Amino acid sequence: MTTADDIFDQSSSNIQRLGLKEIPFTESPIDLRSETLQRIFTGRQNELRQMFNLFQSRERRRILVYGRLGIGKSAFLLEVLSVLRRKRPKMLTTYISLPANLDLATTALIAVARAMPDDNWAQSQLYQMGIPTEQALKERSTKASANMVFGAELSEKDLPITKPQYPTVSLETLLERAQEKYPEGVVIAIDDLDKQNPSVVRQLMHDAQGMLKGRAWFLLTGHPMGMTGDLLTSERGLFDLQLKLEELDLPTTYQMLINYLSSARINNNCTDPKDPRCVLPFLPETAKRFCEVSLGKPRLFNRLGNTVLSTAADLQAKVITPDVLEQGLRAAALTLHQQAALTVQEERVRVLLLQRGTLSDDTITMDDLEQIGFRSFSDAYLILERLEEADLAHQLNQDAAKAFAPIPLPPSDDEFLSLGGS
Amino acid sequence: MNSDRIRGDRAENLEQSIAAYELALQVYTREAFPEDWARTQNNLGIAYRNRIRGDRAENLEQSIAAYELSLQVRTREAFPEDWAETQNNLGIAHNHRIQGDRAENLEQSIAVYELALQVCTREAFPEDWAGLQNNLGNAYSDRIQGDRAENLEQSIAAYELALQVRTREAFPADWAMTQNNLGTAYSDRIRGDRAENLEQSIAAYELALQVRTREAFPADWAMTQNNLGTAYSDRIRGDRAENLEQSIAAYELALQVRTREAFPEKWAGTQNNLGSAYSGRIRGDRAENLEQSIAAYELALQVRTREAFPEQWAMTQNNLGNAYSDRIRGDRAENLEQSIAAYELALQVRTREAFPEDWAMSQGNLAAVLMQRASLTESDTDLETAIALLKAALDVAAPNSPNFINSQYRLGIALSRRYEHSQNSSDLEQALQAYKIALDAISPEHYDRKQIWQALPTTQSILGSRLVREGKWQEGLQLLLNSVRQLSTGDDPLAHANALFQTGRAHETLSDWDNARLYYRDALRLYDHLKNELGIAKSRAGLGSVLVSQGYLEKGLAELDKARESYHQLQQPDKAAEVDIIYQAAQRAMERQTTEAYV
Repeated sequence: MTTADDIFDQSSSNIQRLGLKEIPFTESPIDLRSETLQRIFTGRQNELRQMFNLFQSRERRRILVYGRLGIGKSAFLLEVLSVLRRKRPKMLTTYISLPANLDLATTALIAVARAMPDDNWAQSQLYQMGIPTEQALKERSTKASANMVFGAELSEKDLPITKPQYPTVSLETLLERAQEKYPEGVVIAIDDLDKQNPSVVRQLMHDAQGMLKGRAWFLLTGHPMGMTGDLLTSERGLFDLQLKLEELDLPTTYQMLINYLSSARINNNCTDPKDPRCVLPFLPETAKRFCEVSLGKPRLFNRLGNTVLSTAADLQAKVITPDVLEQGLRAAALTLHQQAALTVQEERVRVLLLQRGTLSDDTITMDDLEQIGFRSFSDAYLILERLEEADLAHQLNQDAAKAFAPIPLPPSDDEFLSLGGS
Repeated sequence: MNSDRIRGDRAENLEQSIAAYELALQVYTREAFPEDWARTQNNLGIAYRNRIRGDRAENLEQSIAAYELSLQVRTREAFPEDWAETQNNLGIAHNHRIQGDRAENLEQSIAVYELALQVCTREAFPEDWAGLQNNLGNAYSDRIQGDRAENLEQSIAAYELALQVRTREAFPADWAMTQNNLGTAYSDRIRGDRAENLEQSIAAYELALQVRTREAFPADWAMTQNNLGTAYSDRIRGDRAENLEQSIAAYELALQVRTREAFPEKWAGTQNNLGSAYSGRIRGDRAENLEQSIAAYELALQVRTREAFPEQWAMTQNNLGNAYSDRIRGDRAENLEQSIAAYELALQVRTREAFPEDWAMSQGNLAAVLMQRASLTESDTDLETAIALLKAALDVAAPNSPNFINSQYRLGIALSRRYEHSQNSSDLEQALQAYKIALDAISPEHYDRKQIWQALPTTQSILGSRLVREGKWQEGLQLLLNSVRQLSTGDDPLAHANALFQTGRAHETLSDWDNARLYYRDALRLYDHLKNELGIAKSRAGLGSVLVSQGYLEKGLAELDKARESYHQLQQPDKAAEVDIIYQAAQRAMERQTTEAYV
């Protein structure tokens, strides 16, 4: 009889058969250690250059990093922070994911306070908000110092936080204290603004103008539509730099695949794109095909990579042949669909998208809209974005239109079923 | 006794009773048989109160005179119980009195009951005490002076006291009577949740009907059926169409007993109610239902003459006004005139002083029909009059009463109509305010709520777009997005299209081109679906100008060209010229681009 331990061993050996220690893909860069991120982070040279140019001045800046969901905003932010930590030891870098129902000043206050474990006043601020401090301290002490701020992520977003009465003032005070220890300044990175309702974000930004112009550097990540749209035009001058992240091109995606695989490969750490071994267990042709379906979107790339490698391991394959890849992508299509847990209405939109191939505000018809129970594309847009978030759709770079298309994965078996009538 | 007879001609029976009492009074003289004389005067008073023939106002005066004579012998000291009985009757007569000041009569009535209650204590005369409480409840529920909501609470409290003695076991008929009255008070109640009050009302009527069967108490049964019909027609819970059918069925049952011959006054009352149920009826052919309704009101008016029953006459005139304002058959303008005439008649009796609530109701109705006439004739005067009438009605209407809610809603409509001419944003703000008040006051379960709920976002979108243009973009955009969200699920696609257009325009004002384009396209698609040519033209103009601003000249020019063409077809040369200016500029820009490309 096979024991659970046996299964575990078999599972490991299936991965090892592919020449890998582990599956290197992960869809949340926050889980990565700084040194791993450094190895796999690929491309974005122009954007990094623009960003770091600003850091050559003592002037404090406000920078907005924006782009579509899953485009790699968080990873970019974390990479920037990790570089700053190495290059600017006297600068305090903090990172936080925007919690629900919290204003930006309180959020920033929490981020900074958590990065100052030795400051009693900072810790008492956290304590008053009901945020565990002791545990956070321990976490930090066990981690590599370079990774310290990563512990500052609020993993439980719905913690009932008692906001300080005057968060902006508390933050000012804390920043003064921080600057004594970190004369090169304080960087506050607030991630995931785009995971909140755009109108909430609009209000948050509006309310936080004073704070944003205060004594820290701010790095924010957001979304091109909703948050930025009217905000950028109406609050001109709020940001010194608006950095748009676009899809990676194919060579960069290929290089990213090489970097990921080499970070987990057992036998070789070849990273030369001209050497076919650099993409093992992929073959150059399957690697290329894999990069194409990833559409240059880092999160989709990671999600697909994960399923493709798991499928290959299950098949006890040694290399990813075209056939193995197809099976992997098919499994990925199924997994993405299942993980999305769509509502009936979202499912209707997805089916329509598959039927039509693309949906855009320019060409969608009233009949199409009625089929999904809407009268306006702006309503459907919210659902298409939800599908985009679940990697069931992607936005096309079309002139003068908002257009979406399905992710070009081979249809899984259930796909044929749900499309049976069309 | 003859006055309680049901069989035979009731009017005739009552004449016989009166003749008999008058005869008796010649025998039982005051000097010889003071007690019998006083009892007969009391009974004569009752017969006059119920009399069908002759002038009703005069009959009630006769009735009051008889009671007062009776009370000369039935003094509090000598015959406290009889005194209380006749005081009670006097109270009832004052309650129905036509001559004199109505508000004052009701105060008299309450004063008389309260006097009687000093003698008829619950301990000494529980039955009489309960009867007086019941009548006091009636007087409070009709009371004009004082706070209406509070009066109705007093009325309910009095009925409930009465029911402590009038139990179903001990006094089934009295219990049923007070249950019936309690049902009426609950159906008028202002405090508490209206939907729940109406359920209470229906429940009370149904209790009453357990005793008041058709066989045992035909007249009472018919009364409670009539009341049940009213409660069903106002009912909020349950299926509205079905409730109205229930209501009509109950009225028709009532009319089986309440014939014109036996109970002309009651017959007319139920005809009035039937007319009202038909005018709101959902099932069946609407045009036909309204004809039925008008016919029923006209029957009612044959008995409810201005002279005999001024109050009831005014009520039916008011209702007739409603039916004519909704009428589908006949000439629209003529129907509106009929409607206005009927309301004006009603208001001759329903004065602000005597019947403030009814006055407010008819004022509101008159305002609504004036608004209809205003849109038919584009008359500013009618609209102004309507606004003034509504504001006056709101001064009087008990806060949160159905009248109050209706008037707020209508005021919202009137003010947003006025905005269309005045372009004064304070009209819109006031309209929004009125809608909000109406929406807050109306029961969440009320079937009319949807109307108000839709009027609110429509106004929000107009005000929102106005605010954006005035530079209050934050506030304005919020209003617009709220309104779009609300209208997207409503059943008014044109209002939705307008809100989408306004949102597009607001984004354009804010130079948020992507969103502007998205919303203009949404508006265009919906206007196109609705075949709204003006909407199509303005959305294309907006979309074209956004595309040009974004540098998509070719696409922009195509839209602008179509917009210009549509405006020409709509015979709006000014608009076409405006579009043309942008078109020309875009074309020059495109020519420059082409030249540069060749260089």
